[in-house]
Amino acid sequence: MSGIIEVENLSFGYIPQSTILKDISFEVTPGTSLAIAGPNGAGKSTLLNLLCGTLVPKSGTIRIDAAPVESYSTEALAGKVAVVRQEFVPVFGFSVIETVLMARTPYYGPMGFESKADKKIVAEALEMTDTIQFASRPLGSLSGGERQRVFIARALAQDTAILLLDEPTSFLDLKHQVGIYDLLKAAQLERDKTIVTVTHDINLAAQYCDETLLLGADSNYDIGKTKDVFSPEQIEKVFGVRTFVGRVGQEKFFIPLGKFAKDSGQTGNKPEGSQQK
Amino acid sequence: MAGVVLAVVMFVCSLIGSKRISLKEAVFGEPTNPEDVRTDYDDYEIFVRVRLPRIILAAIVGAALACSGVVFQALLRNPLADPYILGISSGARLGVTIAVISGLNWTLWGRSPIAVFAFAGALGTVWLVWFVGRLTGKFHVTGLLLAGVVINAFFSAVIMFLTSIAKAEQVHATIFWLMGNMTEEDFLVLWIGAGCVVGGIMVLFYISPQLNALSFGEDDARSMGVNTARTRTMAFGVAAAITAIAVSLSGLIGFVGLVIPHGVRLVFGPDHRQLLPLSSIVGAIFLVVADTVARIIVAPAQLPVGVVTAIVGGPFFLVLLVKYSRKVSWLK
Repeated sequence: MSGIIEVENLSFGYIPQSTILKDISFEVTPGTSLAIAGPNGAGKSTLLNLLCGTLVPKSGTIRIDAAPVESYSTEALAGKVAVVRQEFVPVFGFSVIETVLMARTPYYGPMGFESKADKKIVAEALEMTDTIQFASRPLGSLSGGERQRVFIARALAQDTAILLLDEPTSFLDLKHQVGIYDLLKAAQLERDKTIVTVTHDINLAAQYCDETLLLGADSNYDIGKTKDVFSPEQIEKVFGVRTFVGRVGQEKFFIPLGKFAKDSGQTGNKPEGSQQK
Repeated sequence: MAGVVLAVVMFVCSLIGSKRISLKEAVFGEPTNPEDVRTDYDDYEIFVRVRLPRIILAAIVGAALACSGVVFQALLRNPLADPYILGISSGARLGVTIAVISGLNWTLWGRSPIAVFAFAGALGTVWLVWFVGRLTGKFHVTGLLLAGVVINAFFSAVIMFLTSIAKAEQVHATIFWLMGNMTEEDFLVLWIGAGCVVGGIMVLFYISPQLNALSFGEDDARSMGVNTARTRTMAFGVAAAITAIAVSLSGLIGFVGLVIPHGVRLVFGPDHRQLLPLSSIVGAIFLVVADTVARIIVAPAQLPVGVVTAIVGGPFFLVLLVKYSRKVSWLK
């Protein structure tokens, strides 16, 4: 196998009686982006926490760079995998640059201070995420979108091959959503990062991610090229909602329509006429 | 820099007191000839045997309390945390109450066993809180805080029971001890205490980058490569130990451990690599000054220093709180 992340027969449950992830196998090719999509409670964030070693699988193995996750020390794993979790603002007012600099903690010298190389990496991360203009402001004074960029900058400053993100665009407006995905794509293409994103937003995932792992609530899953995985039938089955399906250029888009939606009769794939009901 | 300020403050405060002493006499007035029975070595005696030990003691206790205040606030991610939050205070009180009420009159290396009981009570309680907190799951901050609060309340009840069956003078002795007092200690005790506290602060400084990362939560810290379990245990153990030392040397001095970290953080920012040593030094300065005030303000009587720290520290902190909202950043 050639994946930078290899998952084999992975199962996990928080309590012994139930499993939320059952017998999952997939691999991620270096330098590609993978979206993990699915309904609430399907185990998306759980899978992410398994990939970064926060949770331990019940059975099966996860290999990062051909070695099992649990064989890495905390420090060594932090050199391979960086994680951006759902936003957490600490009680004490750390500034943006202090926050990003923390990514270098394992590499500090014996007196606990950063080297020139650390500072350079941090400066690059700030530059790339366009956060350098508010580097000295405290985190609490930033907007949600700006703060998310700072946490991505911190993950970039860890200088890892793999970047894991847990719903990086929830609570962000359209412009910031697109901004975050553009930034991640740039990191993938320019820095050859492997990016795994847990997301609710299947339309953005369709536009930006090479492959998609679609987790169903009943431990079923589907993985493949994003455009193959996101079929109208799959979406309806997995999310339990009827959608209007359209197409922009190469990718489809989905608008969920409930019973009382203005256009609730418009579900299906009308613009193309191929799957009309 | 701050260390120099501390040295100057300690020196100046050692010259202030209810009896004026001359510097020359104090420093050079040491009797050179033991058979010389002149009686005017008073200044030297007061300086070396009374004032100096007391000021060193105040500095040690202030540094220990402020430093462990910083650590507990970081570990519990709670700005209301202080060194006493996890039961150290009630543990020490229980230890002292038991020592006084059981009428212990034996001595340990020539000292009253009260301090030893306070130390054991403090550390024992922290261990108990830590242990109960562990049972609530993997290091749950809420579980730990709740365990601390409940054990505090339980021990307070036990203490109230013990005091209600005790004699009045015993109660008075307990209360007086606990109010927070600087008494003259002999040098051996001082050096041991100072060594432990300074060593403890150095260990905590060594792990201060990890404390920064821990402020963002366990998971984040771990994915940034911080061994959270080791950092937590080390920080917790060392901070509890130096607090217990401070408590057994001087009773329960409030306010230093809560207010000094916040004051320093407001002015200099939350980076623990800077916050931790600065808080220690500022805490030492603060307590030395407070104790000097306590010595002279109602001389020849003396106030408990805990009273001074709260009366002086409270308003001072409020002024800081209003005036600064993080204007200084050292990384710029």
